[in-house]
Amino acid sequence: MNAVMIEHIVAIVGGIIVAVVSAVALKNDWKTPGMENQVFKLMLALLCLGAIIAILAGAGVLGNFHQGGNA
Amino acid sequence: MSTAAVHTGGIADHIHPEPQGFIRRYVFSIDHKIIGIQYLITGFVFMVLAGMLAEIIRTQLLHANGGFVSPDTYNEVYSVHGSAMVWLVIIPLITGGFGNVIMPLQIGARDVAFPWLNLLSFWIFPVAGLMLFSSFLMGAPVAGWTEYPPMSLQAGPGTSMWAAAIFLVGVSSTLTGINFVVTMFQMRAPGMTFTRMPLFCWAQLATAPLLMIATTALAAALAALFMERQFGVPFYDPTKGGSPVMWQHMFWFYSHPAVYIMILPAFGMISEIIPTFARKPIFGYKMIAFSSMAIALAGFMVWAHHMFTSGLAPYLQLPFMILTFTIAIPTGVKIFSWVATLWGGKIHYTTSMLFACGFLALFTLGGITGVFLAAVPFDLHVHGTYFVVAHFHYVLVGGSLMGIFAGMYYYFPKMSGRLLSERLGKWHFWLFFLGFNGTFLPQHWLGTLGMPRRVPEYDPQFTFWNQFSSISSYVMTLAILIFFVNVLWSLRNGKKAGPNPWGARTLEWQIPSPPHYYNFKHIPTVYGLPYDFGQPLPYKGLEEELTDTPVSVGAH
Amino acid sequence: MAVANLLYGHEPGVEHVDQLYAETRDLRLQGFLLFLISDCVLFSSFIFAYFYMRNSGQGWPPPGIHRLDVAFAAVNSVILFGSGATMHYALENWKHGHFNRYAMFMIATIILGACFLGGQAYEYTNLIYNEHVTWAGSGIFGASFFTLTGMHGFHVSVGVIYLFILLLQSVHGVYTKHKYFGLTAGTLYWHFVDVIWVVLFSIFYLI
Repeated sequence: MNAVMIEHIVAIVGGIIVAVVSAVALKNDWKTPGMENQVFKLMLALLCLGAIIAILAGAGVLGNFHQGGNA
Repeated sequence: MSTAAVHTGGIADHIHPEPQGFIRRYVFSIDHKIIGIQYLITGFVFMVLAGMLAEIIRTQLLHANGGFVSPDTYNEVYSVHGSAMVWLVIIPLITGGFGNVIMPLQIGARDVAFPWLNLLSFWIFPVAGLMLFSSFLMGAPVAGWTEYPPMSLQAGPGTSMWAAAIFLVGVSSTLTGINFVVTMFQMRAPGMTFTRMPLFCWAQLATAPLLMIATTALAAALAALFMERQFGVPFYDPTKGGSPVMWQHMFWFYSHPAVYIMILPAFGMISEIIPTFARKPIFGYKMIAFSSMAIALAGFMVWAHHMFTSGLAPYLQLPFMILTFTIAIPTGVKIFSWVATLWGGKIHYTTSMLFACGFLALFTLGGITGVFLAAVPFDLHVHGTYFVVAHFHYVLVGGSLMGIFAGMYYYFPKMSGRLLSERLGKWHFWLFFLGFNGTFLPQHWLGTLGMPRRVPEYDPQFTFWNQFSSISSYVMTLAILIFFVNVLWSLRNGKKAGPNPWGARTLEWQIPSPPHYYNFKHIPTVYGLPYDFGQPLPYKGLEEELTDTPVSVGAH
Repeated sequence: MAVANLLYGHEPGVEHVDQLYAETRDLRLQGFLLFLISDCVLFSSFIFAYFYMRNSGQGWPPPGIHRLDVAFAAVNSVILFGSGATMHYALENWKHGHFNRYAMFMIATIILGACFLGGQAYEYTNLIYNEHVTWAGSGIFGASFFTLTGMHGFHVSVGVIYLFILLLQSVHGVYTKHKYFGLTAGTLYWHFVDVIWVVLFSIFYLI
């Protein structure tokens, strides 16, 4: 259980938490009117997307993990 | 987009108490009219400085072997001349100056959306200008106003000062852009839908997003240049993996929209002046309004036509060439509309109108040479020659500057309550027109014959036309001096103007000259276009504006 | 607003500044959004520069540069995204009048934001001292990475300070249940900083 493993797990777990929380918030606020709220909904959606990306990065699905460049 | 504006409240909706004291009224004023006049004064001061630099250039070029200044100084002179004219003269005069003074009046507002931001925007400007000129004390920029690396990376400290100064004046521009967009979207008088808004405001509406978006792109390029010069961070140095062409992309991505920033408000001014002095409705109001937006949008897509000789692949050059050609279309629509407005009108040849007509002629010429330059094969031949110099001086001086002069003669009475002298004005116009054409027309063929730009000396075969050009430039300078004399003299001795000396129909002419600090006693309701000469004015609620009825603080 | 109050607030017949403040809110929202758009353009320009340099044929990462620590950055990202969620709830609670819950979420946001900055500081220290990847000395990799993440870190720092000021202001009663534009602006700014990080994380660590 080295540092890298912990990082991966924290990324996945934390990502799930944030993604769920923001998705729930988005769903609850879906019908609010006004420009301000539209912007917030957009931001929440992008936040959720970011969290999903972080989950995938933690799981190793996404990510530039390979060493060095071409000579 | 076509709903009427709502009263949005705030400082600029109710009449607030008049500011007291010299500092609050005239130095740190939040009144858009005062700020606009401050921009105009400061802009004209920088125009004098940058103009002197221009005369140093022309004097150097009187003789094929130069001799007036050293080649290194010459590089500094044209670099600061170009930078100052673009960023410290034309852009501030035409957006911060006229935009601030006129636009809120024309939409029936009491001020702009963010008056304090406006104040900040203005005061950044003289500071940044002083910074730019101070670069002469430390080795001014030498790579032209375009400052291509690697030369700009290797030059003296003044180039970093240049980057910082332009970055700062860019911040001022961006904030003004934000201010204008919100003002025009939210603070139009009741009943003034977008399609009842005067064309000068449409022009500013097209320009404001350019100020906001394009200027920030320049800020990035400048910041990167600064970081590379000061801290060694590699962006543009090819020996460290960077790319000089990347600078060109980043710089021109801003600087092409910048030229539209410089011309669109002038188009707007012409659209106001021509109907008034032809006593005819503007032809093609909607076409002019929408073509301004089209030009602003398309202006973002053509930047690489400044880079045809930079090694771009042909498959990249082609779309830029074609898109550049297409920008001529909305521009041509406007020119035809203005000419159609003149057609059959009763023309009053006031000085303002003379400059407007001169604009039509000279900008058209400049636009045509622009279309020549858009063609890649031709551009490859004349890039970096005096043909390009001729082109952009025709559009910027024959276009923007003539528009500014036209606007000055038109709006000076509104700002000061006095008319500029028509006699001096006619001298100004004709000397300027002759001097300008004498200076820049020959530069077209100097360019096609092969004279490069930014050179302190040239092949003797070019001597005659260079001398012709230089002598003509002195005539042009004399004309501008006459203009300044006119302004200064007329401030004291000009004929009193009254609210509407030109019989114009937009809102700013229905209130006293100069306007009260609160602009309108009561915000009017608008129910038509302002250009229908011969019909009654399309406004309601203006009855008390020209009377002595007192105004109460807090009134709506 | 305080300065406006100074100039006009004591005059008879002029509404108290609080009312002026509420009435200008719509304008200020638009203005703030436009400012965020122009800030986007700033980042976009540098992102363009990054892709331009990256595609200049030297391979990526360039020879000799270690790959970045994706997992660590993912954790840091989750921290920042989490702070975005807490910020959302802080504002929600303010709007519903629950001051204590608002304060709790606000403090959580500030702490998470600070943790993100700490994480960035750790990453920078590691890169500079252990792997010898520096801003100026590592070619276009160092230039693009440190410039973009540095700009972002600067924006986060300003955001943390601003949120802290908002917290103090709200404790002092500057905002009411109906007039709280500063809090709205802070929330928007914080979300903006979050979204920029989504992009930066993706382009530096994932591709």
